[in-house]
Amino acid sequence: MLTHMDTNKAAACLVFCGFFSAAVVLADDAVTPQDWIDRMGNAVQVTNYKGTVVRVRDGKVDTFKVVHTVKDGIVREKVVIQDGNGLEIIRNGNEVHCILPDRESVLVEEWNNQSTLFSTLPSSDIRFGSEYDLLIKDFERVAGRKAAKLAILPHDNYRYGYRIWLDTETGFPLQTQLIGDDNSPLEHVKFADISIQQDILSSALDSSYSTDTWKWYAEPRQTIKREVESDWISDQVPPGFRLVSTQQKTLPDAEDPVTHMIYSDGLVTVSVFIAQVAGKKKAGRSSVGASNSYSTVIDEYRVTAVGQVPQITVEQIAKSMRQSQ
Amino acid sequence: MNEAIRMQVSAFVDGELPDNEADLLVRRLSQDSDLRRQVAEYLAIGRIMRGEYSAQGSDVLRERIAAELDERPLQEPADAAVSDQAPRYVRPVAGVAIAATVALVAIFGLGQVADVEDAIPGVAVVSDEAVSETVPTMKDDELRRYMILHGSELNSFSTRVTSLQIRAEELAEEAAAEDPETEDEADETAPVTSQP
Repeated sequence: MLTHMDTNKAAACLVFCGFFSAAVVLADDAVTPQDWIDRMGNAVQVTNYKGTVVRVRDGKVDTFKVVHTVKDGIVREKVVIQDGNGLEIIRNGNEVHCILPDRESVLVEEWNNQSTLFSTLPSSDIRFGSEYDLLIKDFERVAGRKAAKLAILPHDNYRYGYRIWLDTETGFPLQTQLIGDDNSPLEHVKFADISIQQDILSSALDSSYSTDTWKWYAEPRQTIKREVESDWISDQVPPGFRLVSTQQKTLPDAEDPVTHMIYSDGLVTVSVFIAQVAGKKKAGRSSVGASNSYSTVIDEYRVTAVGQVPQITVEQIAKSMRQSQ
Repeated sequence: MNEAIRMQVSAFVDGELPDNEADLLVRRLSQDSDLRRQVAEYLAIGRIMRGEYSAQGSDVLRERIAAELDERPLQEPADAAVSDQAPRYVRPVAGVAIAATVALVAIFGLGQVADVEDAIPGVAVVSDEAVSETVPTMKDDELRRYMILHGSELNSFSTRVTSLQIRAEELAEEAAAEDPETEDEADETAPVTSQP
């Protein structure tokens, strides 16, 4: 477990140490934007906190109660969705329980990686070129705490920008915004209140319900995945995107495996799923929140690109895929 | 669902369909469950897309179909797994099959789903009409699974939570569809134990 944590810290550091071309607009000369990002990368891994998170997306407001601790390398989290069906998410290490109180049901899932729930930004341990500028914009108060406001500005329209407010005391992200083309927030995630590094009782991480007699569910067949070599390639992906992973996965409800290729510009990732299809299929696009997807058919395969990037990006990536043979 | 039916449904919801045509529409819908499902999806997606969560015309249509079917007026079941933001008539009319579509849209807010022809260059305009035509044929389960898989690779709070919400909605649908007497036949997610 410690190995995982070390790996995560290293990854978090690498993410932000390499690919931004930093420019300081307003800051203490001694503290660069990179320093702030480094602090954040560490803070999201080691900080204990509890609070209320508000997410605004597509005009819809969701509120979550969040408790998070790390002890002996074991991440424990509790997220309670305050709206809708009151879903509770309890994480203990790799095991995640999704608790549906109105159904008196519990779904058990395993998280394969060691990412923490509130890491604010997708991470990658791959360094790429400079596709973004990183700026310190200002200092403001968020959830009653002093915060440094950082801006991550993309160089083109193939990716979104970000604003991040980092707690000046700990470097922990208190607020994030995903910024679209018109400079308006596509998604806004913010702590309305937060207690950092407080002693958090273990019981605060337990489910609010007595679930012993409820129905417990687990995935009957786990998604099977393995790293593979693929003959699918693209030489027309948007600038800065590189292939970082190719896996073949067998989904629980499918007989044929799907090829899952992951492209990243160092900050965001786009997944490309390639599955064999029978008969004529249409192309299609969809958007959910700030995520977009585009699906097209190439030869006998449906190619679907998914990512928290503009529509043009997933569309270009999906359409550019081809078999090398 | 063809264009004529869609226009009739739209006119009915807007209160502009002549009575005799309305009667025929209701009768046809009461006799064709598959068409009912398509109409329900059409209305649900259209309403959600426009941010309308309570359209009187849709409710009237639902109630008239229920009356035609000689059923009690369909109300939101107390144990419905569909989000509060999903139109309340959807589940009783369309059943579990539509729940996946609605859940996907409801979870993500004002999501848009549309098919476009490959031959169309550039970005096609996404319209209610396009959505209504294509959502039923769009492989929601497949897209949803891809979204979950993509989310599982990420570190984003929002994406991770959303992935879990989707999965939880799936579970809710499966649990709702599960007949206690044929519990063992549940094919998607099998209950493994009654104890942790």
